Amino acid sequence: MKYLFILFIAIISFKVSAQQKQFPLDDSGKFIYYEVVDVKTTPKDSLLMRANTFLNADKKSIVKQNSTDSSITAKGKMVIDKTILVAGHPSGEVNYILNFEARDKKYRYWLSDFEYIPYQRDRYGNYVATTKVGTALEKTPGKLNAGEWKDILESAYNKTAKFAENFKKALATNIVDKQKTKANTVSTKKW
Amino acid sequence: MKKFLSAIFSIASTTCALAQEAPTSPLEFSGSVDTYYKYDFAKRPNIPTSFASDHNSVSLGMIDLVLKKKTGKASFVGEISFGPRGQTQSIPDAANNNSSFHIQNLYVNYDFSDKFSMTAGYMGTFIGYEVISPVGNFNYSTSYLFTNGPFQNAGIKATYKFSDKVSLMAGLFNDWNVYSATRGVSSIGAQLMVSPVEGWTAYLNVLSGADPYGYGTIEDLTTSYQISKAFKLGLNAANYDMADDAGGYAGVALYPQIAVADAVTLGLRGEYFKYKDVGATPGTSYTGVTFTANIKSGGLTFIPEVRLDHNGDKPFFNKTAGAAPNAGQFSLAAVYAF
Repeated sequence: MKYLFILFIAIISFKVSAQQKQFPLDDSGKFIYYEVVDVKTTPKDSLLMRANTFLNADKKSIVKQNSTDSSITAKGKMVIDKTILVAGHPSGEVNYILNFEARDKKYRYWLSDFEYIPYQRDRYGNYVATTKVGTALEKTPGKLNAGEWKDILESAYNKTAKFAENFKKALATNIVDKQKTKANTVSTKKW
Repeated sequence: MKKFLSAIFSIASTTCALAQEAPTSPLEFSGSVDTYYKYDFAKRPNIPTSFASDHNSVSLGMIDLVLKKKTGKASFVGEISFGPRGQTQSIPDAANNNSSFHIQNLYVNYDFSDKFSMTAGYMGTFIGYEVISPVGNFNYSTSYLFTNGPFQNAGIKATYKFSDKVSLMAGLFNDWNVYSATRGVSSIGAQLMVSPVEGWTAYLNVLSGADPYGYGTIEDLTTSYQISKAFKLGLNAANYDMADDAGGYAGVALYPQIAVADAVTLGLRGEYFKYKDVGATPGTSYTGVTFTANIKSGGLTFIPEVRLDHNGDKPFFNKTAGAAPNAGQFSLAAVYAF
């Protein structure tokens, strides 16, 4: 009985901690993921260079649209997965716009204009986009599809948070240091 | 034939060197189940197209299971189905006793580069608008064009993607719908994909060689255009000529669909289909109009449908089993995709 009680408390705790995080709304009523980051010593040019390097590394997922000497705009997509027990499949993609602005010792970025495009299995068993027209993530679905939409929102938020984490990590890493780290080799001559 | 294969392998070896290693994907697992009720107004099975064949019965479609995995540049797809739609009503039935299973897809693919890939195995056909899986169709009943065309092709094909707007596929195939060739690798097929504007995709297909009845050539156009957020228009036109004046068919089907709510889309299928003359025996032609709704809730789609077909040669039955020029049916299907 004691173990059952502990298990019950553990499940409740897990559920509370796993509650869905939501995108806040911007001034125009659209979902936004916004963050200002202070960096103590990094100049603006280095931040821009690091951001460019990050964006150029995965052109299948994100493509630059515009850039100036202090800002970058890019269009990206993240694939949403549907999981069945341990396996799953892609169920759609969320397209978004990334805005990045840099100043000396600080930068800000935000992801907005989230649109969902559902995937459907094609005749060859591959999941592909069913339409080019996306549905804004802010849109409230009808009752019939509310549960599925909630899962999509949750997955989109988690993927966005993961993207933000990787983006900040890239901007905190000196590219020269990164290359040095990569070039490190293990010598077996001295021991 | 040798020249064709040599050309494919030359391109493959050239592009292989340029390819970058792609990441490994997790094992994908998906599938569907479907069931239906149909009432034919002649009170007996009547319209001679594929699937949804039982009258006044809650009947089974199929359970369909799909596995896919990509490791680096190589991937496979295995798709197998059980149930009438995936057994006796698809071809071939693996054990040939109406109680087995049907392989929908079983192939391996290798991406030599972002632009060039090759695929070998048993694949859903590249011909036509409709497919075997109910998940891939808007209408639950199927067109005459679908029923009379190939369902699947085993073979080897190469695809080159010139850009997101243009790609070309060419391949060598067995005769239609067989796991192993009965007359050798006897067909050549090609597909040109063009996407002139965003939302509009067109496939120009040709398949020439052995079919289940003889030899022939199909030319096929399959296209769909998402004209606005709510309105989509699809079109399938095909012409099939069999060798030695052995007949064939020609037809066109139009698929307008409009979303009237988040979860509800209404659609029509209007089809004209003609079996060609076989020697001195005249052909016969069908027209069909099918009104279908798709009501979605999560993975489940309800598909109520009314279908009316006409043929002046009276191939249908009426309520007293006499010959009739018209046939009609109502069906309600439930398809769950996971």
